[in-house]
Order: sequence, then structure tokens, then C-alpha cells
Amino acid sequence: MAEGVLSAGINLEAFAQAIAAIQALRSSVTRVFDCLKDGKRNKETLEGREKGFVSSFQESLHSVSRDLGELERLSNLVGKPSENHPLHNSGLLSLDPVQDKTPLYSQLLQAYKWSNKLQYHAGLASGLLNQQSLKRSANQMGMSAKRRPKAQPTTLVLPPQYVDDVISRIDRMFPEMSIHLSRPNGTSAMLMVTLGKVLKVIVVMRSLFIDRTIVKGYHENVYTEEGKLDIWSKSNYQVFQKVTDHATTALLHYQLPQMPDVVVRSFMTWLRSYIKLFQAPCQRCGKFLQDGLPPTWRDFRTLEAFHDTCRQ
Amino acid sequence: MEAPPVTMMPVTGGTINMMEYLLQGSVLDQSLESLLHRLRGLCENMEPETFVDHEMVFLLKGQQASPFVLRTRRSMDKPGTPWHLRYLGQPEMGDKNRHTLVRNCVDIATSENLTEFLVEMGFRMDHEFVAKGHIFRKGIMKIVVYKIFRILVPGNTDNTEPLSLSYLVELSIVAPAGQDMVSDDMRSFAEQLKPLVHLEKIDPKRLM
Amino acid sequence: MGVTCVSQMPVTEGKSVQQTVEILTRKLELLGAEKQGTFGVDCETYHTAPSTMGNQGQAAKLMYVMHNSEYPLSCFALFENGPCLIADANFDVLMVKLKGFFQNAKGNKIESRGTRYQYCDFLVKIGTVTMGPSARGISVEVEYCPCVIASDCWNLLMEFMQSFMGSHTPGIPSVFSNKHDSIYSPADTMVQYMELFNKIRKQQQVPVAGIR
Repeated sequence: MAEGVLSAGINLEAFAQAIAAIQALRSSVTRVFDCLKDGKRNKETLEGREKGFVSSFQESLHSVSRDLGELERLSNLVGKPSENHPLHNSGLLSLDPVQDKTPLYSQLLQAYKWSNKLQYHAGLASGLLNQQSLKRSANQMGMSAKRRPKAQPTTLVLPPQYVDDVISRIDRMFPEMSIHLSRPNGTSAMLMVTLGKVLKVIVVMRSLFIDRTIVKGYHENVYTEEGKLDIWSKSNYQVFQKVTDHATTALLHYQLPQMPDVVVRSFMTWLRSYIKLFQAPCQRCGKFLQDGLPPTWRDFRTLEAFHDTCRQ
Repeated sequence: MEAPPVTMMPVTGGTINMMEYLLQGSVLDQSLESLLHRLRGLCENMEPETFVDHEMVFLLKGQQASPFVLRTRRSMDKPGTPWHLRYLGQPEMGDKNRHTLVRNCVDIATSENLTEFLVEMGFRMDHEFVAKGHIFRKGIMKIVVYKIFRILVPGNTDNTEPLSLSYLVELSIVAPAGQDMVSDDMRSFAEQLKPLVHLEKIDPKRLM
Repeated sequence: MGVTCVSQMPVTEGKSVQQTVEILTRKLELLGAEKQGTFGVDCETYHTAPSTMGNQGQAAKLMYVMHNSEYPLSCFALFENGPCLIADANFDVLMVKLKGFFQNAKGNKIESRGTRYQYCDFLVKIGTVTMGPSARGISVEVEYCPCVIASDCWNLLMEFMQSFMGSHTPGIPSVFSNKHDSIYSPADTMVQYMELFNKIRKQQQVPVAGIR
């Protein structure tokens, strides 16, 4: 800390001087009150005593005002710390004084650092593993040297415009599926996918990764009473609760950390097969209903319809 | 999915008859702002509500001398709201002391195929108009200040022209039969609006 | 409201209406359905009074005013092959005022009352159709709540109905063919009930299932 200036105008030297000035001010104020407490000193004449008292009182008040002026000058030099809270809500967590009972903030930081490190290592590992191709053909080696993908930027922090572009491209891909994007809670995108007149899906994303989905019927209400998108309440119908479970399974199946837009595309393609949710019979048993439910499972590769109990 | 209550009231003479108590007046266009200003002070609205309604009047002619009149209203500025069907009976010829016009009133909210249904029942449209204005509320009292627009081409509600250079002011209450004290409340409210507008009981028969 | 199919169940030979209803409900309970309260659908007939007929020179038109306990605050008014109006409960008061023009054929009042069952996402209502004091038939209403497009789930509905109605499963209702891709509405259910009630009114006695 040799240099005085740290960040956004905090002058450390002036800071130290200001702290000393505060101490000087405190001592001069104490002297004023001591003087008042002691009262007139023992002198020969009454006037002498009075004069002595008044002069010592005045002197201590002067020193107080002098010190106060010095402090104000120094405080102007110190400057203000940056107003913006770059940490937003998580920074507010750090203000919790009871650290040993609820070490939330330090745990949060550790979890964040760990996941960043994990992603970095996974990126390195995938780069190395892609070089060691499992295919036997010789041509592959020559091609990959030229076409090796450049180091991807951390896909966790993507500009929102890029996310919007990817989603709008997928929206145009399928005519019976329409996707509406909104950002009511910060930077994570919330998609409202309407599939024909069959169902509605709410997809909560984290940059370009899909976090969570909820599937509801076409005529069910997807908004809360205040008009915001309701991302928590489940569907009223058992069939759509089942499809929600299958969609969550699909999120775990379609994984490709380096190319998240491919993941979103494949998820939407899988979702689109539900347009025939009520029309398609099960490919295995041939019937429409099993325990009152239509075939709710869609195979991840072939997109065929199966009952939940009929799939292999 | 619980079962709704299975209580269906039989439609006999036991239904409650609702009566409409009405006072009417008018103001010239120039005085509209001052009237709205006073109403804003007197009434409960936070902000004045505006409306644009399209009203059609249907008649069913029978052997009786007077045809049966039904009025339909739909909102032009708030799409998706139900249509409003209204029946107004003959004004009660009560004592002259009654301050307001009193007549039987039945209000029904319906789906959007109302005109088609009325035509199927045998009603024919007599006339239509567009009403554009403001609505205020105070307790159960409703105060409506609106301008009537004539529709030049039947069915085309975009092409309209104002019927006159003034606004119609109506003060009304819909209450169960027998509560005549509401007309006293209406009269005292009407007093507060003088001299901006004189609201009085206008018998439609005398105008025809 | 989900896609609904309303049909009539013929009475088993040798048994009364009440017993057939009991057999049906037992089959449903075996499937796993849960009883969930009761329901009622009623229908009143109005015909245009002779005084208005002279002007138009047409035959008297029949208007049906129906109520459904599933929608307790509404009233459905319909003409055969005509529009169906959904209004609130005050419509009945209006019909009283229109006494001079539309007369209520009080003898024609018909209604269906019974119990409601829920099985997974299906809602089944089995009702006894009565006209006055006599029971005239059995109505079966099956609703598949999650789906709102009629043509999509007919096969699914039919498979479910076959599981407890057996060979008495009806064919596709005529309202379905008119719907194409529009969303199913409660008015369509009331049209089906009206057709069912008209059919039952025409039958002079309680229909009996033939030997199959």
C-alpha cells in the first residue's frame, strides 16, 4: 500500500491523516469538558479566577474548531468509495455480521470459485480429448488441425444479445412452436414456448444454459395475479406434471458444455414432438391410455412416443 | 377439480326485481372540463375512467302495440370484456314527489355472439350509436358524462360524427325495489353539481 | 373446459334405470375413479308465441334455456342448429319478462342429475335423465380436461369410454366435426346435451339394450 490511491479516488494517506485528526478533535473536545468540570481555578482575586476560566475555555473551544476544520479538509481529500454495488444481492449477504453461524457469503464465494475452476478444467480437458480422436480414419487428423475450434469464451457469461439471437433463430425454425423471451428477473432469460394448441412451456435459463422447465396446458394460466410470469406453480393436470418430469430428464440428457446453442436446439426439437401428445398411440403397446395417461415419454434419439411404463 | 355447489335457484316470481333510478342533464362542450374537475373532487375515483362503447337497440314486434326493447352494449376500447344486455321497463308513474325517474331494469352479461342470437330470436336492430366519455362512482351512485356519436354507415364504427355540441350527464343507481331513499341521496348529490349542470327527472314519454 | 363427449347409455335388459346406473358406477370405481360430489344439467323449452309468428310466417322456433351445475353462475340459451349464447343468471329473469313473446313449455322440462367421478385427468358424470317424475334414460358425460382441441383426443376418449361402457361406446359427436381447430367451449357441451335430451324426449319409453 505504498501508493495512496487505491480505487475510484480513495486517498489512503489522507485517510490516515483524517483518522489522526479525529483523535485530535476528540482530545480537544474532552479538554473543553474537563475545563468546564474543573471550573474556576484557585486564584487570589475573583476577577483573576473568572478571567482565567474564560480564557482557558475560549482556548479549548478554538482548538476544537481548528481540529474540526482540519478534519473537514482532510475528509474532502479522502474521496468517496464507489457508489455502485458491483455485487448486487450477493454483496448484501456479505454485510451479515454473524459470520460463524451463517457463513453464507464465504460459502457462496467458494462455490462460485469452484464452479469456475471446474468449468475451466473441463474446457481444457475437452480440448485435449478432442485431439485424441477415437475414430480410426486417417483423414480426421489433418482436418482437425485446421478446424480446431478456437478457445471458447467462458460460456457462462454471454452477452444477452447473443442469447436473444440464438432464441429468435430457433423460434423461426419450427412453425408450430412460438417462443417469447423476457427478462423479468435480472439477466437470466425466461422463455414462454407455446406448442400449437397443446401446451405451454416455461423455460428458465442461465445465460444460454437451460436451468429449469415447467410444462402446463394450453388453457392454463401461466401468469401470477400481478401479471408476471409464474415460474413455480405446477400444472393442475397429471399428464402435464409427467411431461414436466420428462422435460427435466431431457435437460440432464442433452448436455454439451462447449456448444450450448446446440443443446437448446436439440431440446426444442425434442419438445416439438409433443405436438401429437394426445394423438399418438404408444409404439410398444399400441394403446392410447395407460393408467389414464397418454404416451408421455418421447425417446431422445428417435422421438417416438411411449408410455412411461412402456419404455425400456 | 372439486364439484361446484349444486344449488340452482328456480326461476319463479321469487327473483329480486332491480330498479334503476335516473337523473339526466347536459352540458355544452365548453363547460366539460369544469364539470369533470368538480366530479373528480366529489367522487371516489383515483383517476377518471374513460370508455368508448358501441350500443345497439333491438326491437321485437308482436301483436302488442309497443315492441319489446333490448339494448346491447359492447366496449370498443377494452376488447375481451363481456357484452352487456339491458332491459328497461316503463317508468313507474308514482307520486310527483319522487325526485328521480324509476324503472325496472335487468342487466345481463353475455358472450360475444349476442347480436346473432337476438336476430335468431326474432329481434331486429332499430338504431345504433357510439358513446364516448367518462365514468365516475360514489358509493352505489354512478355518474356518466358522455357524448353520443351517430354512425354514418351501419356496421362501421370508425366513421362517426357527434350528434350534438354537448355532453349528456346521467346520474343513476341500480338498487332492489322498494328502496326509495336512494332518490333522496341522488337529489342531494345533484344539488352539489348546480349550477354547472342541472340534473332532473326527464320523462321519455313527454319527449316523443 | 376440456373436450367433452355426452352420450346415452341404454338400460340393461331386465334391469331398471337405477340398477344400470349402479352397475356403471361400480365399473368406474373398479377402474380407480373417485367420487367427487354431484352434478345437474337441466333444460327448459320456449317456443315463439303465436302472436309473433304472423309477421314472419315461419314455423314456431324452439329455444332451449339450459343450466349446468359446473358453471353455477351462467345460463346457456340455444337454438337447434343455431347460435348458443352464454349469459349470466339474470337471463332467466329476462325470459320471465319476455312471457308475451316466448312461452315456456313447462311439460317439456327435462334434466339429468347424478354423481361426478374423477379418474386421473378424466371427469365422468353419470346422470339419470328425468322428465317430470319419471326416469327416461341415462346420460354419460366424459371430459378429458387437459386437451382443448376436439379432433386431437377423440381416440383417447373413445379408448377410455370403452373401458367402462364396453360396446355401448358412442360414435364421434357431430359438434366435433364442426370444430376443426378452434378451442372447445362449454357451449359445445350444452349443444350435445340438448341433442341428447331431444332424442330421449322422442323415445316413448326407456330404451333397452338389445342382445349383442
